[in-house]
Amino acid sequence: MSVAPYFTKGSREMSKIKSKNNTENSVVVNKTPLKLRIYKYRWFYLMFIPVFIFLLVFNYLPMTGIRYAFYSYRNAFNIKWVGLANFERLFETSAFWTSFVNTLVISVTKLVLNTGMAVVISLLLNEMVNLVFKKFTQTIIYLPHFMSWVVTASVFTLILSTSESGLVNSMLVSLGILAEGEEIYFLASKEYWRVAYYIINIWKDTGWGTIIFLATLSGINPELYEAAKIDGAGRWSCIKYITIPSLSNTIITVLILNLAKIMNLFESVFVLINDNVIDVAQVLQTYTYSITFAAAPDYGFSTAVGLFRSLVACILVLICNFISKKIRGRGIV
Amino acid sequence: MKKSKKFLAVALAATMAVTALAGCKKDKNYAEQVDKITIMVDGTLFTLANGRDQFEARLEELMGVEVDIIQPDHSGYYDTVSQTFANPDTSTWPDVVLLGSTYYATYANSGVLADISDYYENSELKKSGRIINEGLIDGLYINDGLYGISPARGNGCITYVKKAWLDRCGLTAPTTYAEYIAMLDAFMKGDPDGNGVNGDTPYAVTSAGIVNAEAPYVNYLPEFFQDAYPDFYQKADGTWVDGFTEQAMIDAINRLTDAYAKGYLDPELVTNGTKDCRNKFFEDKCGVFTYWAGNWANTLATNLEAKGLDSELVNLEPIAEVGNYIERQATVWCVTSACENPEAVFNLFFGTMLDGADGQQLWTYGVEDVHWSTKAETNVINAGLETEKKYVSEEGQFHWKTNLETGAALYSKAHIDKLLAITTFADPAKDVGNADVNPRITASAKVFNENSVLAPVITSNDVMEQYQSGIMSLRIQLVSECVTNGLSVTDAMARYNAEVGTQVKAILDSLNK
Repeated sequence: MSVAPYFTKGSREMSKIKSKNNTENSVVVNKTPLKLRIYKYRWFYLMFIPVFIFLLVFNYLPMTGIRYAFYSYRNAFNIKWVGLANFERLFETSAFWTSFVNTLVISVTKLVLNTGMAVVISLLLNEMVNLVFKKFTQTIIYLPHFMSWVVTASVFTLILSTSESGLVNSMLVSLGILAEGEEIYFLASKEYWRVAYYIINIWKDTGWGTIIFLATLSGINPELYEAAKIDGAGRWSCIKYITIPSLSNTIITVLILNLAKIMNLFESVFVLINDNVIDVAQVLQTYTYSITFAAAPDYGFSTAVGLFRSLVACILVLICNFISKKIRGRGIV
Repeated sequence: MKKSKKFLAVALAATMAVTALAGCKKDKNYAEQVDKITIMVDGTLFTLANGRDQFEARLEELMGVEVDIIQPDHSGYYDTVSQTFANPDTSTWPDVVLLGSTYYATYANSGVLADISDYYENSELKKSGRIINEGLIDGLYINDGLYGISPARGNGCITYVKKAWLDRCGLTAPTTYAEYIAMLDAFMKGDPDGNGVNGDTPYAVTSAGIVNAEAPYVNYLPEFFQDAYPDFYQKADGTWVDGFTEQAMIDAINRLTDAYAKGYLDPELVTNGTKDCRNKFFEDKCGVFTYWAGNWANTLATNLEAKGLDSELVNLEPIAEVGNYIERQATVWCVTSACENPEAVFNLFFGTMLDGADGQQLWTYGVEDVHWSTKAETNVINAGLETEKKYVSEEGQFHWKTNLETGAALYSKAHIDKLLAITTFADPAKDVGNADVNPRITASAKVFNENSVLAPVITSNDVMEQYQSGIMSLRIQLVSECVTNGLSVTDAMARYNAEVGTQVKAILDSLNK
């Protein structure tokens, strides 16, 4: 049996050690000296240096700023150690807890709705027979993803406006659902803001979310469908017994991966929030922004809010990692 | 011996005189003491697209030192200012910074700004006698220290009513709240826009928000707020109170709620920006708009003209219940404590800006042949469009030039509004545009100047710095919810007391100590 050219002598030796270790169930001890190993892989280390410096400068160095969570930091001349006072103030502030609860509610609902809609649209796209129309539809639904949130917010502010330019209110009035003069101020109503927000998110991001599901769908063995059809299965039965089960692992993966990011909610809320809906719309990131750029900011307090958010996000990542290991057999970090 | 004594005495006297003069010269020649002056300013100075480089070059020429203008985006200006002053590396700080009144009080209180009181008191500017509004500068003293100078008054808003709307409804300008409401009612029920249909006016008044985030907070809807002020203020007896919890504020919220429910107010006022309001006013959707006095009177009228609408606006004198419009605390130019030679920078910067000659001309009118000119020429706005308009000027006639960035208007000022400036020109010839002020601008400014009072002084201390922004956000939110979302005033006040009552008490205790 010939050995593939890219197997080096070293890797073959490692394979041998591994197989030996597997059989004996003992700890691998690499006896090659460290200096020799570094020299051997010097080009890899050299290639890694820019990445390492980048990580150090832009990811780890800024973390030293975490210490300011324990300071009162109003400006360069006004930095005082306050211990845990910022956290005490944080937990006593009702606006913080409102933001925290809103973050969880809005993020989880958005995640479930966006994923659900992406699955539904993927299934519908998968059933399309006309390839040209399918590609055209895909392109159309991907486009909103590339629109900035500022533009999206402006467009929907117009669409949901109470004035004559407001498409939704005009339609509701035309259909007799609303009387003239009783138009709904969707984006400034506590009752409707979240609904409007979820719809805008679905419009913007569902198309993009379908990509991963469509990739999975295209990988399903066609023989499964052929066999099912021979056994008399209709289209719905094929979806129910072949497509959805094949997709389920991807759905779980997507949900888990996104669950770890639910604390990162800012731009979409920031461009749509207003004074009327702060109780239902303010999330941790927008709250941090508002206290950081106030007339008399305390960067120590803002850092404490940010640190708390990061801790919660970190815990969520670990939970997701644990769930992922249980369900998929491998973690996400 | 006597001769030598005399010679020695003359020599010593001459040396003393020369030394003294040399010292004098050195002190006065501040340009030699400074290498460069960095200036941080918002969009109220010419932007890069509007000839900032030319402005900077001219300023360098007049001050005799290198100038570096840092001009962050106007809307994010204070974000940048806050970040700058949070940086312990003071070498990144500007020498001079423009600050709004709230920020001025905060930064003065925390040591970010240099105390310039001695420099001001001994300055040529103060001695010149050209300051016509010394009270404005006196009002900037905080704990016996002066941390900045406002070159012009803060201005404020007056209410503009479309004359054609009044005429079509057979009304005259209202003088009381009852008449004001009757006017709004007539606008809603009648045919003020003259389209032949009664009662199709979308709303009578527009506004960008209800309570503004910045002081004086209530300037966009004065007829409804009247004597209410939603912040801490000092009463005549010297005690500090929270205006938000006073009966005047409760009455104001009730008036606003009632007007909103009756459809007098723009239903989208919570999400409106000022540009939205202006556009709605230009599109004839409403007839009443409270906006800045002075230059804006002309801009509003010009835009109405461009839309083919009647452009005559009534500069409404404050109704009886309002009494006076509120003049906001002016923006303040400050020398930062990072500045290595604050005395020299003070004298160079303010000595040029308010010199009553070329420097003041530059800050008031801009750069000759860039922003204004006296040459015979034609300036065109909206070139190539249906709304194209030409302005022909003769040789020697002062005129503003076309806006370099938009091409849609002529310039109307540089940084200092001539009508609001605190100093006069020492050399009247340098006041090149004195005769060119548009009558619409002077009429609007006259109504404001004759009927305005300065907004309550903004103060700051450690307790206020800690709580003020959170309290103000809640006030804005509660008023907004009461007016547009059906929250009762009683519930709003109960929530206010529950959430920030202790913080308000702590602030009042600290102020009344």
